[in-house]
Amino acid sequence: MASAPSLAASLSPATSSETVTRAELSEIDASTKAPAMFFLCSAILWLLAGTAFAIIASFKLHNPSFLGDSEWLTFGRVRTAHLNAVVYGWSVNASFAVALWLMARLARSVVRHSGLLMLAGALWNIGVTIGLYGILAGDSTSVEWLEMPTYATPMLFVAYALVGAWAVITFRFGKSEHIYVSQWYILAALFWFPWLYSVAQIMIIFAPARGTVQALVNWWFAHNVLGLWFTPIGLAAVYYFIPKVLGKPIHSYYLSVLGFWSLAIFYNWAGVHHLIGGPVPAWVITAGIAASFMMVVPVVVTAINHHLTMIGSFQALKFSPTLRFIVFGAVNYTLASLLGSLMADRGVSEVVHFTHATVGHSHHGLYGFFTMVMFGSIYYILPRILHREWPSAKLISLHFWTTAIGVIVMVVALSVVGTKQGLDMNNANVAFIDIVKGTLDGLRLRSYSGILMTIGHIAFAINFVWMVFTPRAENSAPTLFRNPDPDLEVTAR
Amino acid sequence: MEWFFYGLAFLVAVAITGSAVYALYWASSKGQLRDLEKGAASIFDEKEPIGTPTDFFPGKTPKGHR
Repeated sequence: MASAPSLAASLSPATSSETVTRAELSEIDASTKAPAMFFLCSAILWLLAGTAFAIIASFKLHNPSFLGDSEWLTFGRVRTAHLNAVVYGWSVNASFAVALWLMARLARSVVRHSGLLMLAGALWNIGVTIGLYGILAGDSTSVEWLEMPTYATPMLFVAYALVGAWAVITFRFGKSEHIYVSQWYILAALFWFPWLYSVAQIMIIFAPARGTVQALVNWWFAHNVLGLWFTPIGLAAVYYFIPKVLGKPIHSYYLSVLGFWSLAIFYNWAGVHHLIGGPVPAWVITAGIAASFMMVVPVVVTAINHHLTMIGSFQALKFSPTLRFIVFGAVNYTLASLLGSLMADRGVSEVVHFTHATVGHSHHGLYGFFTMVMFGSIYYILPRILHREWPSAKLISLHFWTTAIGVIVMVVALSVVGTKQGLDMNNANVAFIDIVKGTLDGLRLRSYSGILMTIGHIAFAINFVWMVFTPRAENSAPTLFRNPDPDLEVTAR
Repeated sequence: MEWFFYGLAFLVAVAITGSAVYALYWASSKGQLRDLEKGAASIFDEKEPIGTPTDFFPGKTPKGHR
């Protein structure tokens, strides 16, 4: 492209996309550098902050006097700060970085209007910072997943809308003949989130609906953030990186299209299963449970696709850091989703609802699947936008093993202790205090697994900073840009 | 006032659903749902062709990898 197009030209329906030329991948990667780096740096800072809040909250559960005399760090505030820092700080910033890089690559055109993305990034991070401050200062709205006070949230909405507008422009001027499945997921997610967020904010916070309608909107929103925002972004990354790293097309492209459309149809209904046993019309809950079970369709379809693409290529897990994280994430997507459908069953919900098992399940999805996929994606993206290798293979390995083992221990510990807690709570002969004491071992184990994951996050951050500040050596393009060895071919179907 | 928001939320939901139906129709009419094998291969090109792995641990690229 000769000169940068004006925003007015990009928005005008009269502008023809014929003027845009199909770009080389290296050119596209270079054009994503500024916004992608901005989102990634912010994401990693929020990951560290969110981890610190997590450790404090976790220790408080088995050691209540820990930091007990600071009102800024009471459990209710610090646990909420953890959730908001890792969801809106780490996860959304990482999603933006990965989504914009994938969108630009899949559209085969250099990034237009990176200023729009930078503005969105600035607004988003200022919004999250103000929101977190509000939560710690005691201004939380107390609505789960929407705790940020009203003086922070409009900024987040505007930031989000800007990213959405950018994605539509990128799509419009795209030069790829085919719309790859990852693009479907990302574009849809960018439409869905502003819808969820604005409706939830209006109907719960700004003009509250009556009584239980608020609870319905709350869980419609909170569950859909996972299903219609983080899941599509995570799956978009998995659908791109597994075939790309292996050099092998996805097992069945037909199934991937089926998976996308079935997710689009069923997920939106599923959130109501959080209200099983609650004072909402029974048919609404039944519809939610049915939709939760229908989610088995997209999950199984996606699982078949991911895992059959991997079959015969498992040796690649040894040589690719990206693949390790992504495949770990994909396996956990399958497991967490199927367990999630099971937990929506009335009988199972009676036991696990309001126990630590639910907390285990959310970490299974958001960490075991989503966060691991984001880590894997970042390991692939950063060398391509900075034109240099990751400085330390050892730190990557340390990052992988500490986080993988950490999240497995956490999910298993919380699921086991939570199920026992649920069974005991349904048994009138067990005293409540005994149930609480019975959870302590699991909670301690959760804190230890959290320490393990913290070590992983620090290793990741060190590698990241080290990489950013290493000067680029003369004549040493990263290995990944070199021509491949014919002997190393991974068997294509 | 609250009915205004219920109505607005309903209209937005209809619009979102409508856009999904339109997207499916559009994809179908543009032939995006035909020749899926080609679609699966669309992420590869001459520089990063099928059969070539593209990611390695730093400093551990196998010998012969130019």
